Amino acid sequence: MARSTLTRRTLAALAGAGLAALAVGAAHADAAKPRIAAVVQSLDTEFNVLWANAANSHPLVKDGTVTLTVLDGRMDALTQSNQFDTAISEKYDAIIFVPVDINAGNDPVERAKAAGVPVIGSNTLISNTDLYNAYISSNDVEAGKILAKSVFDKMGGKGNVVIVEGMIGQSAQVQRLEGIEATLKDYPDIKVLEQKTANWSRAEALSLVENWLTAHPDQIQGIIGENDEMAIGALEAVKAHGLDPKKIPVAGVDGVTDALLAVQRGEMMSTLQDADAQAQGAIDLALGVVRGADYKPQAKVWDVNGGQLGWDGGKQKQYSVPWVPVTGDNVEALLAMRKTQ
Amino acid sequence: MSDLSASTVSADTRGRALGRFLSRYGILISFLILFVILSFAHPNFLSTGNITNVLRQVSINGILAIGMTFVILTGGIDLSVGSTLAVAGVVAGSLVTGGEPFNPAVAFLAAIVVGGLVGTVNGTLVARFGVPAFVATLGMLSMARGATLLYSDGRPIPNLSPAFRWLGQGFVAGVPVPVIIFLAVFVVAWIVLRFTVYGRWVYAVGGNVKSARTAGIPTRSVIFSVYLLMGALAGLAGAILTARTTSALPQAGLGYELDAIAAVVIGGTSLTGGLGSVGYTLIGALIIGIISNGLDLMGVSSYYQQVIKGAIIVVAVLVDRSRHMNP
Repeated sequence: MARSTLTRRTLAALAGAGLAALAVGAAHADAAKPRIAAVVQSLDTEFNVLWANAANSHPLVKDGTVTLTVLDGRMDALTQSNQFDTAISEKYDAIIFVPVDINAGNDPVERAKAAGVPVIGSNTLISNTDLYNAYISSNDVEAGKILAKSVFDKMGGKGNVVIVEGMIGQSAQVQRLEGIEATLKDYPDIKVLEQKTANWSRAEALSLVENWLTAHPDQIQGIIGENDEMAIGALEAVKAHGLDPKKIPVAGVDGVTDALLAVQRGEMMSTLQDADAQAQGAIDLALGVVRGADYKPQAKVWDVNGGQLGWDGGKQKQYSVPWVPVTGDNVEALLAMRKTQ
Repeated sequence: MSDLSASTVSADTRGRALGRFLSRYGILISFLILFVILSFAHPNFLSTGNITNVLRQVSINGILAIGMTFVILTGGIDLSVGSTLAVAGVVAGSLVTGGEPFNPAVAFLAAIVVGGLVGTVNGTLVARFGVPAFVATLGMLSMARGATLLYSDGRPIPNLSPAFRWLGQGFVAGVPVPVIIFLAVFVVAWIVLRFTVYGRWVYAVGGNVKSARTAGIPTRSVIFSVYLLMGALAGLAGAILTARTTSALPQAGLGYELDAIAAVVIGGTSLTGGLGSVGYTLIGALIIGIISNGLDLMGVSSYYQQVIKGAIIVVAVLVDRSRHMNP
């Protein structure tokens, strides 16, 4: 009895030592091959999927030099927070963050920072961007301005608009609205008739805009969707009401495939958010921190690779990816590119 | 003295009669009151265009709620309908995208078959293996959503053929196609529940499984069949939603199970089974529909809509309880 206990203990000790050795070995192997965790909003919206696909096709991820793990935040701030804890305890070399919530995102980043894990922001923001090592995004206030201006100009600078808002409290909603409101000041003859959230959802926007068109017959001259999905829903509502979409300007942001197709038909306006640049640029920035100053970035968006965005040795805190207005001239090329994404 | 007691008795009877009247027609009366209020509150509420709108907006939840009525009548529940709708939608969408040669009717049928397959799994788990319906369909809610995302790669499937989209956007004699489908489903469901042996079995199983079995009713088959029906109807709703939004959306139908259950509960169908009707479910679905339409028309924040919808569900269940206690 005593003997068997002893044996068992010895075995357990041996096993423990073995596991520890394995863990050390694994940690050692990791030092040579950087591991990056990407905590994204969700993997069931098109933009996030495009982002993740772009991240996975970063040249260094593709050839196996870098290991990338994409974690699906399921549109939930708490899920993302838990994923941060996992990434920290698993000792990832860097975390790329596309936060769900502008404020709830601060705390996990702070924890990563305290644990010495660099965090790079991408796409959407947290309110305290000082916590980031660097962040790369497109300026959503700018998007709001482009969006509003495109609709207001097509309305001839006067008339009534309705605004379909994104999920309240997310940085894209907050900042795009800020841009829309700033633009409204330059157009004193534009009146906002209605303004309400459809939670980024096409089906919700469809019902909402149908109801608005009923509430204000022949009084809505323009429709602003804070993203493309909702703008497409609005467009369908316009058509379902028997109205001519070419006479009621509808615009959205993101450049999702359906929006590109609608632009091609001349039924709406959209502005493309460059998922490739934001995703691959973020990986470059992360590797810049991990590998040091002599790291050579791979994404096409950087000036060193012939793009429009200055790399500057990866030393900047903030990188702003330019918006691409979708027009009749570039829509074919964008659609062709989408097929490869 | 005798006069007094007589008047007490008659007051009591009157009270009971009123109670019975209210529990029987309460939902209908609430609906009519709501309808009249909204008609006065906004000039366009009663316009033909708006009524058409509301009916079209209600049709998807209405179809789900009709299936859910069958499930709840047997004392079950199906939480997977939103995900079932989505998986059926992307399968249908994939058959009619980019000028594919598939007949839209084939895509529509495919959606119903996919939904039916999901329902078959649910029904087998519940009826054959005795897994609690809540658990089985909760698992399916997650599995079917995952399957949707896998199948569609998490992206909308665009470019659906115009003939397919007609099923969501078209009209026949001024009536939207989804409304026609919805009403057809309703009429058939109403007849089945009211006039067929199968309909009586559904009520009997929900009322008391043991005595139903003793009476020779194939209880397992009946329970299996309601999940199959629910799945097929969710597939049908998925095809309509897809045709309506012009793309198959992988995130379609999130939370739709709650609206479907709400319509059934507001309609007074008992969650313990055996009591209720699709007629009242129809009114429940209409109540949810006109509230959200009416509040949109009046420009009320969507936050209030959620509060109001929740309050109505609770009140409906309270009425339902009083009916049980005071038969």
